[in-house]
Amino acid sequence: MKEILLEIKKMNKKFGPIVALKDVDLEIRRGQIHGLIGENGSGKSTITSIAAGMQQATSGEMFYLGEPWKPSSMVEAQAKGVSMILQEANTIPNCTVAENLFAGQEDHFSTLGFVNSRKMNRAADELLSRFELTHMKGRDSINTYGFEDRKLVELARAVTDETQILVVDETTTALSFEGRKILYRLMDRLAAEDKAVIFISHDLDEILEHCTILTVLRDGEIRGVIQKEEMQKEGSVSRIRQLMVGRDIGDQFYRSDYDGSHGSGVALEYRNVSNEKIKDFSLKLHEGEIVGIGGLSGCGMHEIGRMAFGLEHLDHGHVLCRGKEVLNATDAVRQGIGYISKNRDQEALILEGAISTNIVMPSLPDLRKAGFVSPAGERKLAKEQIDLLAIKCENGSQWVNTLSGGNKQKVSFAKWMAKGSDIIIMDCPTRGVDIGVKQAMYQLIYEMKKAGKAILMISEEMAELIGMADRLIIMKDFEIAKEFPRSEGLSETDIIEYMI
Amino acid sequence: MNKIVGKDWLRVHSGDLLSYGGLVLCLIIFSILSKGKLWSAYNVGILIQAACVYAILAMGAVFIYSMGYMDISVGAQIGVYCILCIMITNATGSLLLGFLAILGLSLVCGLINGYVSVMLGLPSIVTSIFLNSIFGGVQMLLMEWVDTNSVGIQYDMSFLKSITAMVIAIVVIAVISIGLYKYTQLGKYTKAIGANETATKLSGVSVTKWKVFAYIFFGVCIAVGALFLTARTGSAGKGTGTGYAMDIMVALLLGGMPLSGGMRSRISSSLIGAFTYVILSNGLTLSGVDTSYVYVIKALVFLAVILITCRKKDGVLPR
Repeated sequence: MKEILLEIKKMNKKFGPIVALKDVDLEIRRGQIHGLIGENGSGKSTITSIAAGMQQATSGEMFYLGEPWKPSSMVEAQAKGVSMILQEANTIPNCTVAENLFAGQEDHFSTLGFVNSRKMNRAADELLSRFELTHMKGRDSINTYGFEDRKLVELARAVTDETQILVVDETTTALSFEGRKILYRLMDRLAAEDKAVIFISHDLDEILEHCTILTVLRDGEIRGVIQKEEMQKEGSVSRIRQLMVGRDIGDQFYRSDYDGSHGSGVALEYRNVSNEKIKDFSLKLHEGEIVGIGGLSGCGMHEIGRMAFGLEHLDHGHVLCRGKEVLNATDAVRQGIGYISKNRDQEALILEGAISTNIVMPSLPDLRKAGFVSPAGERKLAKEQIDLLAIKCENGSQWVNTLSGGNKQKVSFAKWMAKGSDIIIMDCPTRGVDIGVKQAMYQLIYEMKKAGKAILMISEEMAELIGMADRLIIMKDFEIAKEFPRSEGLSETDIIEYMI
Repeated sequence: MNKIVGKDWLRVHSGDLLSYGGLVLCLIIFSILSKGKLWSAYNVGILIQAACVYAILAMGAVFIYSMGYMDISVGAQIGVYCILCIMITNATGSLLLGFLAILGLSLVCGLINGYVSVMLGLPSIVTSIFLNSIFGGVQMLLMEWVDTNSVGIQYDMSFLKSITAMVIAIVVIAVISIGLYKYTQLGKYTKAIGANETATKLSGVSVTKWKVFAYIFFGVCIAVGALFLTARTGSAGKGTGTGYAMDIMVALLLGGMPLSGGMRSRISSSLIGAFTYVILSNGLTLSGVDTSYVYVIKALVFLAVILITCRKKDGVLPR
């Protein structure tokens, strides 16, 4: 056993009446890649955000390198060697990459108060190349890079020579395949240099592959610590899941049949669609069919989803809903299309609004009688969906921003269930959703298929596409690279080859 | 357990309580300071007269503020409407014709305010600045054209000057706006747009259409407000309407309206705010406060209300 870098003793954290952490003890040793796993709201991010100085614990002690540790801000923590990368975007827009990398350290590059930007850009390029990010240049505006690359810039900014502990908080969901590899290599390097990494992820496979030790949390308490040797054992996955969820959720995760049959009617058709990005895309989505679209982030699959809802400009071709052109979002909804956005909090939900307000939003025209919408009708419709989807809440008037990620996602499903839409476009339907809710979602999606609804499932998770889709389309460079029918033998490795 | 519920209830409704509380507090303090003069029949009449136009305008403005937008062209619009109403009424001898003309014009403005900003991809405030300048210019030109400092109405408008007429107008507009706000798509969508415009659009709501409706309703309120202002003053000039945009904003904020709009917006803000605003000025004067201090005191009251209602809540739960 190597030296302890960070020790947490009896840490408690309360948000008003809500207990986020209960007497948590945790040791981070040198050379560890320490995984933290648990459902949404189990306290993973709370622990690390306290250790990295984002917030203070209600009670408890921390020791870092043997000394009492009480960072008052993220800046202080990072200067002393505890860095953290967050799930949300954290770069400064409208600045160059170099300015982002050296924000707060301009003094090193300035003479008489003027910043020597050429010197700073050179240093930035050097830093980027150390992180294998040679495709980016220090002088470029950060705006020219996508979300994935900006995440990597944050990574390069967070990890310095002083860094002893790196906290990676659900960052991988935001990264592309290549970006993940860079991150994994960095994590391995830090561990090899006798530093430590705290790795938070919802992806169990990723955790098992990269972590040397794993701590499982539930309801703010530690439920189990699993060593590397145990992780490799048979049945470890189901054991970890059981620790996380608190009950045996069984092996039945995705649908069990492999018939891949569907109704005959074409619900949604893309006819030779192209715009500045997408090249000549054609697809027929039938009633009662789940079509999965997969690929690397940035392959154009998200745009395909937006097109069906009239949100993208088309240069050529048509998107037809039962033979009728889809003009815009209002028209799409009227024709029975529902769209669950990838950016749940920005595009799908009114966070500062009641659950019921969100659920009935698309259905208001249907609830209208002589121009008036009855509040009782609204409440009834919302209540039905809350019960049907088992959304965990006090009542429909609770605000959405008080819900956990999984329950928020249920609300965005409920909007279209309430509307009775029969073509559902779901973009990353289970992103940031924990296992228990995930299973319920898959069940729901399958029931929707059985009820004859047409489903377009766009996802970055190959496993769920293989597990759920009747037909799987792989996109690469804005066009279809390969189509797979549903089959038992299909594996992720078969697919990945067409993605890259 | 009861205690916790009580606390939560307080926290959730603190905005409501405060806006009512502000009004009640003003009433109590000024009742005492003015030695009851606040409640004299004469003064109540003055209060209603003063609050009438503000209340009518504010009820329309709630729909705009709910979306997180604001309209600063109100003052200049009122100025032009008053002058036009007087000129047309004088020329034709029919008040109805004068009112219909400004009503028509206000609908067009509503359309411009709502539609043009969307078409040109401009923030609504920019279009309203544009309209403000245009109307300011038109007001000037009209007054230059008639070549007097003010135009007076020759039609007998005393029936609109009565307290009864004003109360009826306030009640009618209140019933209509509460109905629209609480029980129709217009009210629900304007709040939703303020809370998250993208999510509202992606729920299949035609944001442009409802935006225009909101501005049109506001336009109707402005026209009615201009009518009552004309009735009260009997004349209009270059300065008519100046300051109304800001007054309405202050009144709404005093009534507990969040500037960013959204789900916390309430229609009651308009009435409470308009009366609080008027009582604050009236009460200070009645209590014999030196006029030179009135502004400072108003500013402090305003700041106190805003600090409590619009401050960001901290301690947000992480994922």
